[in-house]
Amino acid sequence: MDCVIIGGGVAGMRAVLSFRRQWPDKTITLIDTEKEIGYYRTLLPQFMNRTLPENKLFFWQQQDDPRVRVISGVTVESIDRKNRTLFLSNRDSVQYRRLLIASGGRPIVPAVCRTAGGEGIYPVRSLAVARAARDWLPDHPQVVILGGGLVGVKTAAHLAGYNISVTLVEKEKQLLPQALSKEASALVEAELREKKIRLLLGSTVEDLRFNRGALSGVRANGAWISCQTLFVAAGSLPEVAFLSDSGLLQDGRLEVAASLQTSDENIFAAGDAVTIVDNGAFTPWTWPQAMVQGSLAAANLYAPTMSSLRCLSRVNAMNLNGLSLAVIGLPVAGAKRSVYSRPEAGIFRELYHVDGRIVGGALLGDISNAGRLHSLMVSSEPAGTDFNELLRPRLDSFAGTTSCCVKYNRRATLLSEGA
Amino acid sequence: MKVIAVHLDRCTGCKTCELYCATERGSNGKTLLRAVQERPLPQARVRVEGSNEVPVAMQCRQCRQAPCLDACLTGALRRDGESGVVVIQENNCIGCWTCTLFCPYGVIYPWPQRKIALKCDRCVYMEVPVCVDVCPTKALELIDVDQYEDLLRVKRAETAADLQRKNRLDGALLLDLVERAGS
Repeated sequence: MDCVIIGGGVAGMRAVLSFRRQWPDKTITLIDTEKEIGYYRTLLPQFMNRTLPENKLFFWQQQDDPRVRVISGVTVESIDRKNRTLFLSNRDSVQYRRLLIASGGRPIVPAVCRTAGGEGIYPVRSLAVARAARDWLPDHPQVVILGGGLVGVKTAAHLAGYNISVTLVEKEKQLLPQALSKEASALVEAELREKKIRLLLGSTVEDLRFNRGALSGVRANGAWISCQTLFVAAGSLPEVAFLSDSGLLQDGRLEVAASLQTSDENIFAAGDAVTIVDNGAFTPWTWPQAMVQGSLAAANLYAPTMSSLRCLSRVNAMNLNGLSLAVIGLPVAGAKRSVYSRPEAGIFRELYHVDGRIVGGALLGDISNAGRLHSLMVSSEPAGTDFNELLRPRLDSFAGTTSCCVKYNRRATLLSEGA
Repeated sequence: MKVIAVHLDRCTGCKTCELYCATERGSNGKTLLRAVQERPLPQARVRVEGSNEVPVAMQCRQCRQAPCLDACLTGALRRDGESGVVVIQENNCIGCWTCTLFCPYGVIYPWPQRKIALKCDRCVYMEVPVCVDVCPTKALELIDVDQYEDLLRVKRAETAADLQRKNRLDGALLLDLVERAGS
């Protein structure tokens, strides 16, 4: 087999699609633990609240393509690099010429949740779990979400309001601590409170209680909260245990160069499984990064001259059920900070810059121009001195001309027909 | 491939292109009066950027190597085979906005109310792009991309000649335009 890809998440799927386009004569095998592949993991919250039908979750169906072989519902247990062979959980083996590891991550489940063993606990990661939670939720609408990162916040934002009461528990004093500044995070917190979500910041789940094998309560900050469903969104760790005897791991990490090549010239890696070493160690585990890395790794697999990943930031964009959010890069300590804020309109935009170059930032409420700002950051080009102009949102088309209507949300009904 | 070019010296920043684009391409009512009453508000695919002194109408550059196409997993963004224009199929767009993050010109706009991304498709299925048709100063022009360099050469020559007339040769020398003006 010309190429084998481990993992059917976004990095793996993107690699399959790019590889087929770039190397149309080569064969490819995709191996994934899940039985269903080619779905949007980022849309699982909308699927769980039933606003998104299951058929809309899938972006890829295995076509009648003799050059793509899919082995699903099977895990890779070990790898023999000398003979370029993978050993699978179904006792089969697969040989490769080039290998791309895009095995993704596995959710971190705190010990208190792991040992409980009752019904109603769902780590937010896979479609199978999301489907089970979707069926469970209507009869168990009191929800606690553990973890105020991107997954936890997005899950909370999409579940609240659908006859579901949501409490979000985060151990840090702010939401999205690894992505946003405290000020930016305050806007997200206000938005979630607006949606009637209860926030317990600086707290963690200490204990669980069960009634007839089903979850009935969660203790946080010493107080019991009535709860029938617990979503665990406490982050994830790279799924690289199967590489433990391969010699590819350094201190338990799967390290790759900026070309996404591992220490083995025939093996590449992308997505949540990797640590990129390029003047420092980077773990940009986001959906857009996985897309870019999957595509780049596929291009480099057989390229005579390899390209390097230029963007190493945790770039990300999402819609928190009404609040747009774009993370261009993480807050940088010691960098200058410029801010555009219009709290009455729910807009907060900030940039971090050093010597006139953008090094990080986030846009909330209005993410227009995110692409240009991100491009300036990646290219390290001087962005000038007028950061206020750079931060200015590109307003709605009619905002400048009909300011009364837009600013005060007042429709021009007096002028409309039949008024 | 034809693209929309902007004559910087003619753009006054009047936003007529924005208003007509939003009304003609984005609204159901197709008149300005009806468009401003629609919810969500219709959005334009062209935006006037820059300062008041140097405004410029910006829309999709239809890049030959388009980063947005690489960023789109759903296939909602695709290149139209005949025209070469990058178009968005709204039905396939899931509003992940990865494309907006990777457009180096910042001309793919999120539309949160409809949970889709929005970009200029050069009105590919119309005879003339709306913005080009309505621009009162003819700052917007539909040109063949292969003629773009020729057009730039003419522009540079005009600029250099203008600078020479105004005895501002320093600027012309700085921009290496004097020889071009004579050529």
